[in-house]
Amino acid sequence: MTELLRFADDVWHRIVAMLVYDGGAPLTLTTGFFIFAFLLFSFGYVAVRHRAHLRTWYVVLFSLYFYYKLSGLYLLLLLGVAISDFLIGRRVAKARDRGGKTKWWVTLSVVINIAILAYFKATNFFVGVINDLYGTGTLDWQSVVVPAGVSFFVFQSIAYVVDISRGTIAPLRRFSDYLFLLSFFPKMFLGPLVKAKEFIPQIESRNLVVTREDFARAVMLVARGLVKYAVIAKSLGLLFVAPAFAGELGDGGLVALMAIYGFTLQIYCDFSGYSDIAQGVALMLGFRLPDNFDAPYKSATITEFWRRWHISLSTWLKDYLYISLGGNRKGTLRTYLNLIITMFLGGLWHGVGLTFIAWGVLHGVALALHKVWLKVVPWAKTLGRDMGVVRRIGATFLTFNLVAFGWLLFTAEDMAQVGDMLGRIAYNFSFAEFVPMVEESKVAMIMMAVGYLMHFLPKSLNNSAVRGITRLGFVGEWLIVVVAIWLVMQCDALLMLHTGVGGGLPMYANF
Amino acid sequence: MNRSDRSSRVGWFTLSVVLGVMALALIPPFELFGMLTARVDLLSELRAESLADEAPMEYTADIERLEQELATMEVVDSAAIVDRLPEPPVTRYEWSLAAPATQEHRPLRSEEFAVDTTRRVIAIEDFDTLAHGKFDHFIEKLADGEHVRIAFMGDSFIEGDILTSDFRAIMQEQFGGRGVGFVACDIPFATVRKSVKRSSSGWIAYSVMKPKSLPERVKDKFFVSGYLAEGKAGATTRWSSTDAFSTLDSCSRARVFLYSRDSSSVIVEVNDSLRQSFDIEGADMLRELYIEAPISSLRLRVERGEVLCYGASLEGDGGVMVDNFSVRSNNGHAIFGTSAKINRQADDMLGYDLVVLQYGLNIMQKGQRGYSRYRDQLRDMIAYAERCFPNAAIVVMGVSDRWVKNEETSKYEPIGSVDALSSYQRAAADSTNVAFWSTAKAMEKLGGMPAFVSKGWAAKDYTHINFQGGRRIAKELAASIINEVYALVVEREEEAKRLAEIERERREATKRYIQSQIDAVLPIIEGVQQSVTE
Repeated sequence: MTELLRFADDVWHRIVAMLVYDGGAPLTLTTGFFIFAFLLFSFGYVAVRHRAHLRTWYVVLFSLYFYYKLSGLYLLLLLGVAISDFLIGRRVAKARDRGGKTKWWVTLSVVINIAILAYFKATNFFVGVINDLYGTGTLDWQSVVVPAGVSFFVFQSIAYVVDISRGTIAPLRRFSDYLFLLSFFPKMFLGPLVKAKEFIPQIESRNLVVTREDFARAVMLVARGLVKYAVIAKSLGLLFVAPAFAGELGDGGLVALMAIYGFTLQIYCDFSGYSDIAQGVALMLGFRLPDNFDAPYKSATITEFWRRWHISLSTWLKDYLYISLGGNRKGTLRTYLNLIITMFLGGLWHGVGLTFIAWGVLHGVALALHKVWLKVVPWAKTLGRDMGVVRRIGATFLTFNLVAFGWLLFTAEDMAQVGDMLGRIAYNFSFAEFVPMVEESKVAMIMMAVGYLMHFLPKSLNNSAVRGITRLGFVGEWLIVVVAIWLVMQCDALLMLHTGVGGGLPMYANF
Repeated sequence: MNRSDRSSRVGWFTLSVVLGVMALALIPPFELFGMLTARVDLLSELRAESLADEAPMEYTADIERLEQELATMEVVDSAAIVDRLPEPPVTRYEWSLAAPATQEHRPLRSEEFAVDTTRRVIAIEDFDTLAHGKFDHFIEKLADGEHVRIAFMGDSFIEGDILTSDFRAIMQEQFGGRGVGFVACDIPFATVRKSVKRSSSGWIAYSVMKPKSLPERVKDKFFVSGYLAEGKAGATTRWSSTDAFSTLDSCSRARVFLYSRDSSSVIVEVNDSLRQSFDIEGADMLRELYIEAPISSLRLRVERGEVLCYGASLEGDGGVMVDNFSVRSNNGHAIFGTSAKINRQADDMLGYDLVVLQYGLNIMQKGQRGYSRYRDQLRDMIAYAERCFPNAAIVVMGVSDRWVKNEETSKYEPIGSVDALSSYQRAAADSTNVAFWSTAKAMEKLGGMPAFVSKGWAAKDYTHINFQGGRRIAKELAASIINEVYALVVEREEEAKRLAEIERERREATKRYIQSQIDAVLPIIEGVQQSVTE
């Protein structure tokens, strides 16, 4: 009897330990814990799905728990932002209705949100700089842990207030709806950012429908996302990109170049893979999140790239930063400057450091130059699909390399490493390295080939795949997801064996 | 209601996915594209870890108690000074038959290394966040040619001096030093050590692993060696060196470690000829008999009273000492059953520079991939060791490769949890800022457990390596240390060269400057001379 009690007690303790936040094992969509949590959640969800108000609260509570498991007591920060902007949103609407000024309320919201963001993004950096300058210990601050997904909910909250002041949307009546908008769990960690105007009707919808095609698409997104995120990006990064950047695979130029191309694929697969999973999970529940990526490396110009890469962020930057700066309404020169400022701040958002600033400025200047080009050259085109085949291939190649070398700035530890990598490519390049490199990193090279192949396949294949999966039905869909998870677990075991690192968070979570 | 609506599907779909993924655990490993697939188990993280952690130990980490114990120790010390209490009891009884060794040492030169830089080495990962941490200091001491002492703590994997004897031999060959180090006085079961001979009689031997059978008077007296021998008049032990390794056939110093609450008397006999009797006054502390002489054998006999004997250490001057502290079926928890006070007193005498923690073989369960509880315990073990040996760097050795028999196919297959446990051990090292070395990686480099068995380096149980296998792993471990020392030595030499070059240039420049001054003044002097002569 006492044995049994002790066992029960033990199990209870373990369950409690599992349910509370553990900084070493945050909850994401790709953890085993999530699958079980989602299983419990889904049956309840099915029961309440057609009652909008109940459904909202049900999803909100699960989302808040999800965020707590992801980020601990920063949950309070999320709630704080939600309350403050919900109230400010009402004030703004009231002022607007009376024809009064909304500026001060909007400014207050922006200041609060940006202060939060700046505190978490910049504190470590400035403490580090000051201690470097005046000796260690000048400022004795504990390093600040950045709450997961803080940029995403802060940005969405700003957008909500600005949209109300611009009259694009009416303020939400129910606080629960606003919490839902901010905290919906699939998008909580890495986005995509949703537009209030498009998402609010879904929250309030009384007619939630998931068609057979929707479900098949959701399965496709989840499986594709898992393979991209947890197989290709993880193994490519750990087996090839990281050791190549660290110089463990020799100092040859070909390896350096392949490491840059490898990282280019890795960051895409990591980020878009996680977005795919988020989109798929949301779609299974009947919610449509916007596409965040559209095969960005197919872009033939830099302008096109930013319409296909992290679409929700670049749209946000355009709508709320670029346009607020005056956009293209204040003359040509100001337009170019606004572009550069927007990208500079975009770079700064990813990390406070010289390399990120250089990355932002590179893209800003490239965008501005492309605008000039479009103006000066009569036959210039914005999109690849308007170009002839030869020109399109050439332009895509150029754009791809501009972006890839941009990523070098983005990922390098410092400018010295950028110089080192470029030096290796310029002065130590030999095709003779190719065979040894492939032999040394066989798995990673296969992943890279598969990853780029998947990326450059025509988009129409997606729809064919969805049609095919729809025809397969429940069993086929089940098999696809199970095999994808099996692949992920195999890959995890392989990486654990070779590098001692497994699982891990999405790379883009650092930003 | 929409007839094509599938929004109710998500529940059943998720349930069948969960069941499907759980069923994946039933698929045995098979070969795919030349690689063996792993058995995957979704529940491994959630599955009760109690199975694995039901260690036969009753000890748990009690860092607080340890702190108190150490605190009282220091209070007593300082009180003795302030109050002019009677002289504290003698901790060291010396007997010198030879001139004390000179403590000179000189930095090593790069020519003294035979390092093959093209060979791939499994490096020790040092997680110390300090730029100049304990592990760096350990490497520096080796580069300086200073004496270092290593405590190699482990389980049956290193029992009988497997691995450690070769590790010691390689290190002593490179950095100097002689002697086998610590050897227990008596152990409650028969063991064989190739590197040293020991015969004991008349003792009652206790193991820290059997806490239930321990009398109160010895419970709190254990050293990390894990074994204690209680002896009255007549109890005797003889330790003698062997020529199994070139650095072990004789040594220049021996120490015997004792505890004697009440006064007692023991006799020490060196090389079966010279004798010395020691009267030990009673005190609640660790004592050492310190014998300086060319020694090939040493005998201890209790004459009067009752003593607890830990063992003896056979040592040379300078260089590297490696003490093997293997305790059978210990997962590392046994350290919590040892006395922090005794450990600290031993550290004061011996001065450990490095502690290696080799554990985990008995923790692994087939297919289990979650070891967070063991990771937490390992953190406590590290914390405990750090407090007992405050100046020593700590290296956690990852678990070794292990295969188990599949009852259905009666073929051996990977246990499927080596990598998992290893990464948890690494995580423990990471979070406590100590160092980690992957034994599994080293074994993988040598072909993995199947290669060890087929080459006769490991037992047919696919779990325990033998001396042959131990030698291969010892070489890898020693190489990781020697390479670091070598790198430091080369770096220093290059720095010295650079400084010499700067100095030379400075001197040249001074010379040139003086010459130019002379060149400038000479014509004037000559002019003056000329005008004078004219």
